[in-house]
Amino acid sequence: MKVFLEQLLNGLTTGSFYALIALGYSMVYGVMKLINFAHGDLFTLGSYLGYTILVLGTAYTTSYLGLWGGMVVTMLIVATCLALVGTLLERIAYRPIYSSGRLPLVVSALGASIFLENSIMVIWGARPQAYISEVIPAKILNIAGLRISIIQIIILILSFILMSILYYVVQKTTFGAAIRACAIDRNTAALMGINIGTIIFFVFAVGPALGGMAGVLVGMYYRKITFIMGWNYGLKAFTATILGGIGNIPGAMLGGLLLGVLEMLGSVYISTAFKDVFVFLILILVLIFRPTGILGEKVAEKV
Amino acid sequence: MKKVNILIMITIVLLIGVISIPVVAADKLPVVIGLQGPITGAYAIEGEMAKQCVEIAASLINEKGGILDGRMIEIRVVDDACQPKAGALAAMKLISQKDVVAAIQTYGSSVTQPGADLYEKFKKINMAYGAGIVELTRKGYKYFFRMCSSVDKQGNFFANKVVPLFNAKKIAIMHDNQSFSAGLAEYTKIGLQSKIDAGEVEIVYYDAINPGESDFAVPLTKLRETNPDIIYFTGYFPEAALVVRQARNIGITCPFIGGDSAINSEFIKIAGLEMAKGCFMTQEPMPSELSYSKSKMFLEAYQAKYGEIPSSPWAVYAGDSLNVIAYAIDETGSTDSDVLVDYLKNKMNNFNGVTGPIGFDERGDRTGTLHTLYVVNDKGELEIYNP
Repeated sequence: MKVFLEQLLNGLTTGSFYALIALGYSMVYGVMKLINFAHGDLFTLGSYLGYTILVLGTAYTTSYLGLWGGMVVTMLIVATCLALVGTLLERIAYRPIYSSGRLPLVVSALGASIFLENSIMVIWGARPQAYISEVIPAKILNIAGLRISIIQIIILILSFILMSILYYVVQKTTFGAAIRACAIDRNTAALMGINIGTIIFFVFAVGPALGGMAGVLVGMYYRKITFIMGWNYGLKAFTATILGGIGNIPGAMLGGLLLGVLEMLGSVYISTAFKDVFVFLILILVLIFRPTGILGEKVAEKV
Repeated sequence: MKKVNILIMITIVLLIGVISIPVVAADKLPVVIGLQGPITGAYAIEGEMAKQCVEIAASLINEKGGILDGRMIEIRVVDDACQPKAGALAAMKLISQKDVVAAIQTYGSSVTQPGADLYEKFKKINMAYGAGIVELTRKGYKYFFRMCSSVDKQGNFFANKVVPLFNAKKIAIMHDNQSFSAGLAEYTKIGLQSKIDAGEVEIVYYDAINPGESDFAVPLTKLRETNPDIIYFTGYFPEAALVVRQARNIGITCPFIGGDSAINSEFIKIAGLEMAKGCFMTQEPMPSELSYSKSKMFLEAYQAKYGEIPSSPWAVYAGDSLNVIAYAIDETGSTDSDVLVDYLKNKMNNFNGVTGPIGFDERGDRTGTLHTLYVVNDKGELEIYNP
C-alpha cells in the first residue's frame, strides 16, 4: 500500500510535467492544426533560463528575495521570456508559410526544434547542468510513513493552480469561447468576427510559458538538466495530448496526469525496463481504438 | 685553377648541407596522433579533459625536441559524442586521414567497440583510455590496446575487498544496461559467486535502470523493499547522482558505492554536496594520488595551464596513451603499425608513464594497476577511504 501511494504521488508529479507541456501542444494544435515539435525544446529553454536566473544569479535572486521569492520571480521571468520566444517562433517559423499547407509547417516545426536544441547546446554547453541545493527547498515531510518532498507538493499545487486558471479562461470566459470556436472551425470563427490573430498570439504565448515553467519545475525536481531532454518530454507530452484528445484543453491536463500515473504504476508492477514501452503502447492503442482521445469529440468530416 | 674551383665548390656544397640540416629538421612533417573522444554530449567533460591531457603530454614531448630526431607531435581530435554510431564515423574520419599514425580511443566501452573493429580492419594502432569491458581484449584484435584496466579486476576488488570491509550480507547491484556497466555488474556477480555459494552473502537486488532518464523512483522503491546493506551502482555519473539523491529521499540510508565511472566533480555538482559526501567509489588511482616522477611533472604542467588537476583518471590514461605511442615510435624509429604492435606487446618493458610502469600483454591489456576505495569527503573531494 505504501509503495502504491508513493508511486501514485510520483506518477502525479511527472504527470503534472506532462500535462503542463501537453497544454502547449494541444492549444496550438486546436487553433492551428499544427503539431509544434519545437515545443519540447521551448520547455528545455525554460529549464535553462531558470537555471541561469537561479543558479548563476544565486547571489541576486535567492539572497535578495529569499528561497520562495526567488522561485516565484524566476517562474514569472521564465514565463514572460518563453511567451516572447513562443510568439517570435510563430512569426519567424510559421507565419511566412501558413498558406503552403500543413506539411511544410510540420517540417518547419522540426527545423525550429533542431535549431533551438543546438542553440541551447551552444549557449549553455553540452554538459548536463544542475540546479544546486541552495536554490531549492529540500525539506522532506513524513506523513504517515510516506516520505514526500516539499518540492513535490509545490509542483502539484502550482500545476493545479496554473491549470485551473487556464481551465477557467478557456471554458468560462468569452475569450475562451473564441479559442474553442477557433479549435472547432477557424474559418467560420473568423467569419463570426473573432480576431484570429489575437487567438494565435495567445496560444503561442501561453503554451510556451506553461512549458517553460514546467521546465523550471523539472530542474528543481530532478536537478539535472540536459539540452536534449526536451525531445523525450515532448514526445511523452504529445502522447498525453493524444490520450486526452488533441485540441481539447481539459483533455491535455487529464491525459498528462493519467499518463504519468500509468507510466509509474506500469513500471512498478510490471517491469521497469518497459517504462517507455507503456507510454508508446498507450499511444498506439489510443490511436487504434479511440483516435479522438478520452475527451475529444468526433467532429463530422467536412465533405 | 680548375682544381681550386672544384674544391671551393665542394666546400660550398658541404657548407650549404651543414647549414641546411636544421632547416630541413624544422620542415619535417609532424607525427600525427588522433584522439577520438566525447567532446560533446552527456560525457563531454571526459572528452574535454582527455583532450587537455593529450595536449599537455604532447607539448611536454615537443618541448624536449619531439620524437624521431625532431619531428613534433600533432594531435587531431574527432568527436564521437559517446555514441556508438558516431564512434564508428569518428574512427573512419581518423582512418581516412593517411597521416594519422595511431589513434587514442574513446571513453565508454560501447563506443570503443565499433571503433576498434574499424581500426583493426585498417590496421591502425588504437589505444583505449576508458573502456572497461572484458570482451574487448578477448576478440583477438591485433591493433587494439587498453590503457585502463578491465572490469573483471574491478568486480573482484569489490567482491573481495569492499564487501568484507562493510561486513555486508545483502548486496544490491544496479547497472544501466550499457556494455561497461552491465559488464561490471556481471563480473561483480561472478566475483561474489564463491561467497554466495558459501552462504555468506546474498544478492538481493540485481537490475538495470534506463540511462539518460531522470526518474528512478520505481527501481529505487523496489530496491528499498529488499533492504540491502550496500548498493553497488556500476553506471555513469549523470545517473549515479540522481540515483543517490532519489535513494536518500525515499529513505534508503545504506552506503552507496559507485563503480569507477560513477563519481567525479559533475556527480558532486548534480547530487549536491550534502548527498554526495560519504559516497564511495571503486576506482583506479586518481590523478591526485599519482606519485611517480613523471606524474608530478605532468600534473604540474596541467595545473599551470588549466588551473586544476584532472578530476578523472581516464583523461590521464589518454595522456599516457600518447606517451607510450610516442615512445614506441621513437624507439622503433618507425610509424608502421605492425612494427609498433610487435614492440608494444613483446619488446617494451616497463616504460614509466604518468600512471606508473606500463606494459602490455599479448591481448593488448595493460599489465598491473590497482583499485582503491575512495570516499567523497566533507569538502566534496575524493580521498582514499581509511576506516
